[in-house]
Amino acid sequence: MRAIIVMLLLTLVLTGCVTARIEQSRTANTGIRSNDALVILGRASYNDRETEESFTECLSDELSKGPNSIRLIPEDEFKDSLYPWFEPRTAPDSSDDLAQLFAQPGVQDRITASNVRYLAWIDGDTITVDKGGSFSCTISTFGGGCFGVTYWEQDASYEASIWDLQNLTTAGEISADANGTSYLAGLILPIPILARPGNAACKALAKQLREFLITGTL
Amino acid sequence: MVRFSASLLLSIIALSACTTNVVVEGTVPTPLVAKIPADVGVYYDERFRNFVHTEAIREEGTWNIDLGEQNLSFFRKLTRAMFKSVVEVNSPELTEEQKSELDGLVIPRIEKYGFLTPGISGLKFFSASIHYRIIVLNQNNENVAEYVVVGYGKSEAGLFGSGDALGEATMLAIRDGGTRIAIELSQQPAIVAWLAQREGAD
Repeated sequence: MRAIIVMLLLTLVLTGCVTARIEQSRTANTGIRSNDALVILGRASYNDRETEESFTECLSDELSKGPNSIRLIPEDEFKDSLYPWFEPRTAPDSSDDLAQLFAQPGVQDRITASNVRYLAWIDGDTITVDKGGSFSCTISTFGGGCFGVTYWEQDASYEASIWDLQNLTTAGEISADANGTSYLAGLILPIPILARPGNAACKALAKQLREFLITGTL
Repeated sequence: MVRFSASLLLSIIALSACTTNVVVEGTVPTPLVAKIPADVGVYYDERFRNFVHTEAIREEGTWNIDLGEQNLSFFRKLTRAMFKSVVEVNSPELTEEQKSELDGLVIPRIEKYGFLTPGISGLKFFSASIHYRIIVLNQNNENVAEYVVVGYGKSEAGLFGSGDALGEATMLAIRDGGTRIAIELSQQPAIVAWLAQREGAD
Protein backbone atom coordinates (compact mmCIF):
# COMPACT_ATOMS: atom_id res chain seq x y z
CA MET A 1 0.00 0.00 0.00
CA ARG A 2 2.82 2.36 0.94
CA ALA A 3 4.57 1.59 -2.35
CA ILE A 4 1.45 2.56 -4.29
CA ILE A 5 1.14 5.86 -2.42
CA VAL A 6 4.83 6.62 -3.02
CA MET A 7 4.41 5.84 -6.70
CA LEU A 8 1.36 8.10 -7.00
CA LEU A 9 3.19 10.94 -5.27
CA LEU A 10 6.19 10.45 -7.53
CA THR A 11 3.94 10.58 -10.58
CA LEU A 12 2.48 13.85 -9.40
CA VAL A 13 5.83 15.37 -8.51
CA LEU A 14 7.94 14.04 -11.35
CA THR A 15 6.64 15.82 -14.39
CA GLY A 16 8.92 16.22 -17.36
CA CYS A 17 10.32 19.55 -18.40
CA VAL A 18 8.51 21.34 -21.25
CA THR A 19 9.64 24.45 -23.08
CA ALA A 20 6.99 26.49 -24.88
CA ARG A 21 7.22 29.43 -27.29
CA ILE A 22 4.42 31.75 -28.39
CA GLU A 23 4.45 34.11 -31.36
CA GLN A 24 1.73 36.51 -32.41
CA SER A 25 1.02 38.67 -35.42
CA ARG A 26 -1.88 41.11 -35.47
CA THR A 27 -3.46 42.62 -38.56
CA ALA A 28 -6.56 44.25 -37.06
CA ASN A 29 -7.93 45.64 -33.81
CA THR A 30 -10.04 43.27 -31.77
CA GLY A 31 -12.45 43.52 -28.85
CA ILE A 32 -15.14 41.25 -27.55
CA ARG A 33 -18.39 42.18 -25.76
CA SER A 34 -19.99 39.91 -23.19
CA ASN A 35 -22.62 38.59 -25.61
CA ASP A 36 -20.14 38.07 -28.47
CA ALA A 37 -19.10 34.48 -29.01
CA LEU A 38 -16.02 32.69 -30.27
CA VAL A 39 -15.98 29.39 -32.15
CA ILE A 40 -12.88 27.22 -32.06
CA LEU A 41 -12.60 24.96 -35.10
CA GLY A 42 -9.97 22.28 -35.67
CA ARG A 43 -8.74 22.32 -39.25
CA ALA A 44 -9.72 18.94 -40.71
CA SER A 45 -7.98 17.27 -43.60
CA TYR A 46 -8.16 14.01 -45.50
CA ASN A 47 -4.55 13.07 -44.83
CA ASP A 48 -3.25 11.21 -41.80
CA ARG A 49 -2.47 14.32 -39.76
CA GLU A 50 -4.99 16.77 -38.37
CA THR A 51 -5.62 18.79 -35.23
CA GLU A 52 -6.62 16.49 -32.37
CA GLU A 53 -10.13 16.96 -30.97
CA SER A 54 -8.61 16.80 -27.49
CA PHE A 55 -6.56 19.94 -28.25
CA THR A 56 -9.53 22.06 -29.34
CA GLU A 57 -11.49 20.78 -26.33
CA CYS A 58 -8.61 21.79 -24.05
CA LEU A 59 -8.58 25.29 -25.61
CA SER A 60 -12.35 25.62 -25.12
CA ASP A 61 -12.07 24.55 -21.48
CA GLU A 62 -9.30 27.06 -20.80
CA LEU A 63 -11.04 29.98 -22.50
CA SER A 64 -14.44 29.40 -20.93
CA LYS A 65 -13.19 29.53 -17.33
CA GLY A 66 -11.66 32.22 -15.18
CA PRO A 67 -12.49 35.89 -14.62
CA ASN A 68 -12.15 36.89 -18.30
CA SER A 69 -14.06 33.93 -19.68
CA ILE A 70 -15.15 34.06 -23.29
CA ARG A 71 -18.52 32.83 -24.52
CA LEU A 72 -17.90 29.83 -26.74
CA ILE A 73 -20.19 28.10 -29.19
CA PRO A 74 -19.35 24.36 -29.35
CA GLU A 75 -17.75 23.28 -32.62
CA ASP A 76 -20.34 20.57 -33.38
CA GLU A 77 -23.27 22.90 -32.72
CA PHE A 78 -21.78 25.57 -35.01
CA LYS A 79 -21.04 23.08 -37.81
CA ASP A 80 -24.53 21.55 -37.58
CA SER A 81 -26.26 24.92 -37.68
CA LEU A 82 -24.29 25.89 -40.80
CA TYR A 83 -24.19 22.47 -42.47
CA PRO A 84 -22.83 21.90 -45.16
CA TRP A 85 -20.62 25.02 -45.19
CA PHE A 86 -18.04 24.12 -42.53
CA GLU A 87 -17.41 20.48 -43.50
CA PRO A 88 -13.84 19.40 -44.41
CA ARG A 89 -14.44 19.80 -48.17
CA THR A 90 -16.40 23.08 -47.99
CA ALA A 91 -14.92 25.07 -45.08
CA PRO A 92 -13.42 28.39 -46.20
CA ASP A 93 -9.64 28.29 -46.55
CA SER A 94 -9.09 31.97 -45.84
CA SER A 95 -11.04 34.98 -44.64
CA ASP A 96 -11.15 36.14 -48.29
CA ASP A 97 -13.71 33.34 -48.85
CA LEU A 98 -16.02 34.67 -46.12
CA ALA A 99 -17.86 37.13 -48.38
CA GLN A 100 -18.70 34.30 -50.78
CA LEU A 101 -19.82 32.11 -47.87
CA PHE A 102 -22.00 34.87 -46.42
CA ALA A 103 -23.75 35.15 -49.80
CA GLN A 104 -25.16 31.62 -49.36
CA PRO A 105 -28.82 31.64 -48.32
CA GLY A 106 -29.30 31.80 -44.56
CA VAL A 107 -25.62 31.71 -43.57
CA GLN A 108 -25.27 35.32 -42.45
CA ASP A 109 -28.59 35.19 -40.57
CA ARG A 110 -27.52 32.10 -38.62
CA ILE A 111 -24.15 33.62 -37.69
CA THR A 112 -25.75 36.92 -36.67
CA ALA A 113 -28.41 35.15 -34.60
CA SER A 114 -25.79 33.23 -32.61
CA ASN A 115 -23.64 36.37 -32.06
CA VAL A 116 -20.50 34.64 -33.30
CA ARG A 117 -17.96 37.44 -33.66
CA TYR A 118 -14.74 35.45 -34.08
CA LEU A 119 -13.64 32.13 -35.54
CA ALA A 120 -10.35 30.64 -34.40
CA TRP A 121 -9.07 28.00 -36.82
CA ILE A 122 -6.61 25.70 -35.12
CA ASP A 123 -4.07 23.91 -37.26
CA GLY A 124 -1.29 21.62 -36.01
CA ASP A 125 -0.62 18.49 -34.03
CA THR A 126 1.64 16.78 -31.52
CA ILE A 127 4.15 14.29 -32.88
CA THR A 128 6.83 12.07 -31.38
CA VAL A 129 10.15 13.21 -32.85
CA ASP A 130 12.51 10.86 -31.04
CA LYS A 131 12.35 7.81 -28.81
CA GLY A 132 14.74 5.26 -27.41
CA GLY A 133 15.92 3.24 -24.43
CA SER A 134 14.86 -0.14 -23.21
CA PHE A 135 12.24 -1.07 -20.66
CA SER A 136 10.73 -4.38 -19.66
CA CYS A 137 8.53 -5.80 -16.93
CA THR A 138 8.54 -9.41 -15.76
CA ILE A 139 6.19 -11.35 -13.56
CA SER A 140 6.76 -14.85 -12.18
CA THR A 141 5.70 -17.04 -9.28
CA PHE A 142 8.54 -15.51 -7.22
CA GLY A 143 7.39 -11.95 -7.85
CA GLY A 144 7.98 -9.39 -10.56
CA GLY A 145 9.40 -6.04 -11.43
CA CYS A 146 10.32 -3.55 -14.13
CA PHE A 147 13.83 -2.60 -15.23
CA GLY A 148 15.33 -0.14 -17.68
CA VAL A 149 14.70 3.37 -18.94
CA THR A 150 12.80 4.50 -22.00
CA TYR A 151 12.18 8.01 -23.28
CA TRP A 152 10.20 9.77 -25.99
CA GLU A 153 10.44 13.36 -27.13
CA GLN A 154 7.29 15.09 -28.38
CA ASP A 155 6.87 18.28 -30.32
CA ALA A 156 3.55 20.15 -30.20
CA SER A 157 3.13 22.80 -32.87
CA TYR A 158 -0.17 24.67 -33.32
CA GLU A 159 -1.32 27.83 -35.03
CA ALA A 160 -4.53 29.78 -34.46
CA SER A 161 -5.83 31.95 -37.27
CA ILE A 162 -8.42 34.37 -35.91
CA TRP A 163 -11.11 35.62 -38.28
CA ASP A 164 -13.38 38.56 -37.51
CA LEU A 165 -16.85 37.68 -38.84
CA GLN A 166 -18.12 41.24 -38.42
CA ASN A 167 -15.46 42.78 -40.65
CA LEU A 168 -14.82 39.62 -42.72
CA THR A 169 -11.07 39.87 -42.19
CA THR A 170 -8.23 37.99 -40.53
CA ALA A 171 -7.54 39.70 -37.20
CA GLY A 172 -4.26 37.89 -36.61
CA GLU A 173 -2.38 34.69 -36.02
CA ILE A 174 -0.89 33.11 -32.93
CA SER A 175 1.45 30.15 -32.96
CA ALA A 176 2.41 27.93 -30.01
CA ASP A 177 5.28 25.47 -30.01
CA ALA A 178 6.14 23.23 -27.08
CA ASN A 179 8.71 20.50 -26.75
CA GLY A 180 9.29 17.98 -23.98
CA THR A 181 10.78 14.60 -23.23
CA SER A 182 9.01 11.98 -21.15
CA TYR A 183 10.75 9.13 -19.33
CA LEU A 184 9.65 5.81 -17.96
CA ALA A 185 12.14 4.38 -15.50
CA GLY A 186 11.86 0.91 -14.05
CA LEU A 187 13.36 0.23 -10.63
CA ILE A 188 11.16 -2.70 -9.56
CA LEU A 189 8.22 -0.28 -9.85
CA PRO A 190 7.66 1.70 -13.06
CA ILE A 191 8.21 5.42 -12.48
CA PRO A 192 6.76 7.67 -15.19
CA ILE A 193 8.12 11.19 -15.61
CA LEU A 194 5.73 12.66 -18.14
CA ALA A 195 6.11 15.84 -20.13
CA ARG A 196 2.90 17.07 -21.72
CA PRO A 197 3.86 19.45 -24.53
CA GLY A 198 0.35 19.32 -26.04
CA ASN A 199 -1.15 20.50 -22.77
CA ALA A 200 1.52 23.20 -22.39
CA ALA A 201 0.86 24.44 -25.94
CA CYS A 202 -2.88 24.49 -25.23
CA LYS A 203 -2.54 26.56 -22.06
CA ALA A 204 -0.08 29.00 -23.64
CA LEU A 205 -2.21 29.42 -26.76
CA ALA A 206 -5.41 29.88 -24.73
CA LYS A 207 -3.79 32.59 -22.58
CA GLN A 208 -2.50 34.46 -25.61
CA LEU A 209 -5.77 34.08 -27.52
CA ARG A 210 -7.74 35.51 -24.60
CA GLU A 211 -5.43 38.54 -24.38
CA PHE A 212 -5.52 38.94 -28.16
CA LEU A 213 -9.32 39.12 -28.25
CA ILE A 214 -9.93 41.18 -25.13
CA THR A 215 -7.19 43.80 -25.20
CA GLY A 216 -6.28 43.97 -28.81
CA THR A 217 -5.14 47.08 -30.62
CA LEU A 218 -2.57 47.41 -33.37
CA MET B 1 -27.09 -31.74 -21.28
CA VAL B 2 -25.38 -29.42 -18.82
CA ARG B 3 -22.04 -30.05 -20.55
CA PHE B 4 -23.60 -29.34 -23.95
CA SER B 5 -25.16 -26.07 -22.71
CA ALA B 6 -21.90 -24.96 -21.15
CA SER B 7 -19.91 -25.62 -24.31
CA LEU B 8 -22.58 -23.88 -26.40
CA LEU B 9 -22.44 -20.89 -24.07
CA LEU B 10 -18.65 -20.80 -24.27
CA SER B 11 -18.82 -20.98 -28.06
CA ILE B 12 -21.29 -18.09 -28.17
CA ILE B 13 -19.09 -16.02 -25.86
CA ALA B 14 -16.00 -16.82 -27.94
CA LEU B 15 -17.76 -15.93 -31.19
CA SER B 16 -19.32 -12.72 -29.88
CA ALA B 17 -15.92 -11.64 -28.56
CA CYS B 18 -14.68 -11.66 -32.15
CA THR B 19 -17.58 -9.62 -33.52
CA THR B 20 -17.78 -5.84 -33.29
CA ASN B 21 -21.23 -4.39 -33.79
CA VAL B 22 -21.07 -0.78 -34.87
CA VAL B 23 -24.09 1.42 -34.42
CA VAL B 24 -23.86 4.65 -36.36
CA GLU B 25 -24.96 7.61 -34.26
CA GLY B 26 -24.65 11.35 -34.46
CA THR B 27 -26.52 14.53 -35.09
CA VAL B 28 -28.51 14.82 -38.31
CA PRO B 29 -28.31 18.45 -39.42
CA THR B 30 -30.68 20.17 -41.82
CA PRO B 31 -28.72 21.55 -44.78
CA LEU B 32 -28.72 25.28 -45.33
CA VAL B 33 -29.01 25.37 -49.14
CA ALA B 34 -31.22 26.99 -51.76
CA LYS B 35 -34.12 24.71 -52.64
CA ILE B 36 -34.35 23.19 -56.12
CA PRO B 37 -37.71 24.44 -57.48
CA ALA B 38 -39.27 21.02 -58.05
CA ASP B 39 -41.85 18.81 -56.35
CA VAL B 40 -40.32 15.35 -56.21
CA GLY B 41 -40.98 11.87 -54.98
CA VAL B 42 -38.16 9.99 -53.24
CA TYR B 43 -37.87 6.22 -53.29
CA TYR B 44 -35.68 4.46 -50.72
CA ASP B 45 -35.26 0.77 -51.52
CA GLU B 46 -34.98 -1.91 -48.82
CA ARG B 47 -31.18 -2.09 -49.10
CA PHE B 48 -30.92 1.65 -48.52
CA ARG B 49 -33.37 1.61 -45.60
CA ASN B 50 -31.67 -1.26 -43.78
CA PHE B 51 -28.08 -1.13 -44.97
CA VAL B 52 -25.73 -3.30 -42.90
CA HIS B 53 -22.15 -3.97 -43.92
CA THR B 54 -20.60 -7.18 -42.61
CA GLU B 55 -16.95 -7.95 -43.15
CA ALA B 56 -14.60 -10.45 -41.59
CA ILE B 57 -11.04 -9.27 -41.22
CA ARG B 58 -8.29 -11.68 -40.36
CA GLU B 59 -6.94 -11.10 -36.86
CA GLU B 60 -9.59 -8.44 -36.18
CA GLY B 61 -12.76 -10.53 -36.29
CA THR B 62 -16.08 -9.70 -37.87
CA TRP B 63 -17.45 -6.18 -38.14
CA ASN B 64 -21.16 -5.43 -38.46
CA ILE B 65 -21.81 -1.81 -39.36
CA ASP B 66 -25.47 -0.84 -39.28
CA LEU B 67 -25.95 2.52 -40.97
CA GLY B 68 -29.50 2.02 -42.26
CA GLU B 69 -31.50 4.05 -39.76
CA GLN B 70 -29.08 6.97 -39.40
CA ASN B 71 -28.48 7.11 -43.16
CA LEU B 72 -32.21 7.12 -43.88
CA SER B 73 -32.88 9.81 -41.29
CA PHE B 74 -30.08 11.92 -42.77
CA PHE B 75 -31.39 11.58 -46.36
CA ARG B 76 -34.94 12.43 -45.31
CA LYS B 77 -33.72 15.75 -43.91
CA LEU B 78 -31.36 16.29 -46.84
CA THR B 79 -34.00 15.83 -49.55
CA ARG B 80 -36.60 17.91 -47.67
CA ALA B 81 -34.09 20.77 -47.47
CA MET B 82 -33.04 20.43 -51.12
CA PHE B 83 -36.37 20.37 -52.98
CA LYS B 84 -39.48 22.57 -52.91
CA SER B 85 -41.54 19.59 -51.72
CA VAL B 86 -40.84 15.92 -51.16
CA VAL B 87 -43.05 12.87 -50.76
CA GLU B 88 -41.81 9.35 -50.13
CA VAL B 89 -43.11 6.83 -52.66
CA ASN B 90 -43.24 3.03 -52.55
CA SER B 91 -42.10 2.25 -56.05
CA PRO B 92 -39.07 3.14 -58.22
CA GLU B 93 -41.50 4.48 -60.84
CA LEU B 94 -44.11 7.18 -60.54
CA THR B 95 -47.74 6.09 -60.83
CA GLU B 96 -50.14 7.92 -63.16
CA GLU B 97 -51.59 9.81 -60.18
CA GLN B 98 -48.10 10.78 -58.92
CA LYS B 99 -47.11 11.94 -62.43
CA SER B 100 -49.80 14.60 -62.24
CA GLU B 101 -48.55 15.88 -58.87
CA LEU B 102 -44.79 15.49 -59.05
CA ASP B 103 -42.06 16.83 -61.33
CA GLY B 104 -39.83 13.81 -60.93
CA LEU B 105 -38.46 11.02 -58.79
CA VAL B 106 -35.19 10.85 -56.85
CA ILE B 107 -33.72 7.43 -56.02
CA PRO B 108 -30.68 7.40 -53.72
CA ARG B 109 -28.80 4.11 -53.52
CA ILE B 110 -25.80 2.86 -51.59
CA GLU B 111 -23.48 1.19 -54.08
CA LYS B 112 -20.61 0.33 -51.80
CA TYR B 113 -19.34 0.78 -48.27
CA GLY B 114 -15.75 0.30 -47.19
CA PHE B 115 -13.67 0.90 -44.10
CA LEU B 116 -10.09 0.73 -42.86
CA THR B 117 -8.95 0.04 -39.34
CA PRO B 118 -5.60 1.30 -37.95
CA GLY B 119 -4.46 -2.35 -38.05
CA ILE B 120 -4.91 -2.40 -41.84
CA SER B 121 -3.90 1.14 -42.79
CA GLY B 122 -1.10 1.65 -40.27
CA LEU B 123 -2.55 5.09 -39.52
CA LYS B 124 -4.03 6.20 -36.22
CA PHE B 125 -7.49 6.63 -37.72
CA PHE B 126 -10.51 4.54 -38.57
CA SER B 127 -11.80 5.61 -41.97
CA ALA B 128 -14.98 4.87 -43.89
CA SER B 129 -16.23 5.57 -47.39
CA ILE B 130 -19.71 5.30 -48.88
CA HIS B 131 -20.44 5.28 -52.62
CA TYR B 132 -23.89 6.72 -53.27
CA ARG B 133 -25.66 6.69 -56.62
CA ILE B 134 -28.33 9.35 -57.05
CA ILE B 135 -30.80 8.67 -59.87
CA VAL B 136 -33.20 11.38 -60.99
CA LEU B 137 -36.18 10.48 -63.19
CA ASN B 138 -38.53 12.91 -64.88
CA GLN B 139 -42.34 12.84 -64.77
CA ASN B 140 -42.40 10.12 -67.45
CA ASN B 141 -40.02 7.88 -65.47
CA GLU B 142 -37.22 8.65 -67.94
CA ASN B 143 -33.69 8.90 -66.63
CA VAL B 144 -32.63 12.57 -66.28
CA ALA B 145 -29.37 12.13 -64.41
CA GLU B 146 -27.26 9.58 -62.57
CA TYR B 147 -24.69 10.92 -60.21
CA VAL B 148 -22.15 8.97 -58.13
CA VAL B 149 -20.95 10.58 -54.91
CA VAL B 150 -18.32 9.25 -52.52
CA GLY B 151 -18.51 10.32 -48.89
CA TYR B 152 -15.43 9.93 -46.73
CA GLY B 153 -14.92 10.17 -42.98
CA LYS B 154 -12.24 9.39 -40.45
CA SER B 155 -12.03 9.34 -36.68
CA GLU B 156 -9.17 9.10 -34.24
CA ALA B 157 -8.74 5.59 -32.88
CA GLY B 158 -7.63 6.77 -29.47
CA LEU B 159 -10.67 8.84 -28.61
CA PHE B 160 -13.29 6.10 -28.61
CA GLY B 161 -13.54 2.34 -28.49
CA SER B 162 -12.92 0.80 -31.91
CA GLY B 163 -16.66 0.38 -32.60
CA ASP B 164 -17.42 3.96 -31.60
CA ALA B 165 -14.54 5.31 -33.69
CA LEU B 166 -15.73 3.46 -36.80
CA GLY B 167 -19.31 4.60 -36.10
CA GLU B 168 -18.06 8.20 -35.91
CA ALA B 169 -16.06 7.78 -39.15
CA THR B 170 -19.15 6.34 -40.87
CA MET B 171 -21.35 9.22 -39.67
CA LEU B 172 -18.77 11.67 -41.04
CA ALA B 173 -18.82 9.76 -44.35
CA ILE B 174 -22.63 10.13 -44.50
CA ARG B 175 -22.28 13.88 -43.78
CA ASP B 176 -19.56 14.22 -46.41
CA GLY B 177 -21.66 12.46 -49.04
CA GLY B 178 -24.59 14.69 -48.08
CA THR B 179 -22.40 17.77 -48.42
CA ARG B 180 -21.59 16.93 -52.02
CA ILE B 181 -25.19 16.06 -52.88
CA ALA B 182 -26.56 19.23 -51.23
CA ILE B 183 -24.13 21.51 -53.04
CA GLU B 184 -23.44 19.77 -56.34
CA LEU B 185 -26.70 18.11 -57.42
CA SER B 186 -28.39 21.36 -58.43
CA GLN B 187 -25.29 22.29 -60.49
CA GLN B 188 -25.27 19.10 -62.57
CA PRO B 189 -25.81 20.07 -66.24
CA ALA B 190 -28.49 17.38 -66.67
CA ILE B 191 -30.42 18.70 -63.67
CA VAL B 192 -30.08 22.30 -64.85
CA ALA B 193 -31.38 21.27 -68.29
CA TRP B 194 -34.27 19.30 -66.72
CA LEU B 195 -35.31 22.29 -64.58
CA ALA B 196 -35.08 24.63 -67.58
CA GLN B 197 -37.18 22.23 -69.67
CA ARG B 198 -39.78 22.07 -66.90
CA GLU B 199 -39.94 25.85 -66.66
CA GLY B 200 -40.34 26.03 -70.43
CA ALA B 201 -43.18 23.51 -70.29
CA ASP B 202 -44.88 25.53 -67.52
